[in-house]
Amino acid sequence: MPDKRPETPPAGEMLSAEQRERFSDLLEAVARHQDRSAYGEIFGYYAPRVKSYLMRLGSDDAAAEEIAQDVMVTVWRKASLFDRSQASVSTWIFRIARNRRIDVFRRTKKPPLDPEEPLVLPAAAPAPEAGVEALDLEAQVRGAMSGLPEEQLQMIQLAFYEGLTHREISEQLDLPLGTVKSRIDWRFKE
Amino acid sequence: MIRVENGSDFSLEALSVIASGRLDPALVLLIEAAAEMRGLSLQAGEAAAGVALERETPALMGEGALEQVLARIGAPAAKNDTKRPSDADSELISIPAALRARIVEAEEQGGWKTGGGLTSLDLALGGECKAEIMRIPAGAGVPKHTHGGQELTLCLSGGFSDGIGAYGPGDVSITDPSITHRPVADSDGPCYVLAVTDAGLKFTGLLGVMQKLVGR
Repeated sequence: MPDKRPETPPAGEMLSAEQRERFSDLLEAVARHQDRSAYGEIFGYYAPRVKSYLMRLGSDDAAAEEIAQDVMVTVWRKASLFDRSQASVSTWIFRIARNRRIDVFRRTKKPPLDPEEPLVLPAAAPAPEAGVEALDLEAQVRGAMSGLPEEQLQMIQLAFYEGLTHREISEQLDLPLGTVKSRIDWRFKE
Repeated sequence: MIRVENGSDFSLEALSVIASGRLDPALVLLIEAAAEMRGLSLQAGEAAAGVALERETPALMGEGALEQVLARIGAPAAKNDTKRPSDADSELISIPAALRARIVEAEEQGGWKTGGGLTSLDLALGGECKAEIMRIPAGAGVPKHTHGGQELTLCLSGGFSDGIGAYGPGDVSITDPSITHRPVADSDGPCYVLAVTDAGLKFTGLLGVMQKLVGR
């Protein structure tokens, strides 16, 4: 594990490539050597963010604390399943938090999906180019997101992070549905 | 019953809803696997969610949270480095990555079980739905079964027929409770499927959602 510890950026900013690499190194150290110091650093950065995510989705402080701790226990136990060629640590921990939350917090805040929700878009889903590696895709997503105005980042967050449908986003932000759809493309064009 | 062919499109919006976790984990897994077999991926959406997690304002963790967690983890079970499914893997070369880790975990937990002429692995995802990998020997059928709810069957490799249609890798059959379902594997080799059932509970509007998710 490298000794250098790059400062993590303040809230509202994404990690640099160097910082992401470091978290991958740390998680691999947990998997290989049960490195508690590496784990502590991961915990320090991610646990409070996972807790925020859970509170954003409707859980109170105590429940969010408990689930965030559960998620971090899973991070330790499943560390050997982390594959840095497949995802960043952030994406990997997001998946754990999402799946854990599904078990515990079903429908506390959001209604179940309305079966009549018009989920189908006229255009086909944009498939990633054949042969694009998972990490390249992640880099593309990050590259595209880094240049976007806050308003558009917020829309992307509502869609992919909080799981609102385009109709729900258009209602919440009071924007036309067409505007929402056009701005939530995975290439995140302006 | 609905037959969803490989090649029909998933909508991006559907993928974003799925990626965020508003569906049962078993359904998420099936859709992820089916999407991957169609050359689509949830990874872009999940990467975006990962970025959102980084941008999150950190909440204050309780006092001693790290110590509490460290006390719970104890001594971790050392795992070997192999990440491939151990059994039947030569027949599962093209298994979607979305399923691979789940299969490894399930093999460590309960393992494959044999019964009724087929081998199955309960993925134990913890949601309301049950997700199983089934290996149906060439020419054999899944025992006739009816169930209180709906069933989704994604063909992973090989092929099967169920009296309504023939299914190949990436195809999904959707049955409702009124159907007595009996998939029979093609005679030229074993068929692997991912079967998701609601374990007697209700999938509210699942059929409608699935039809929309798969764009048909």
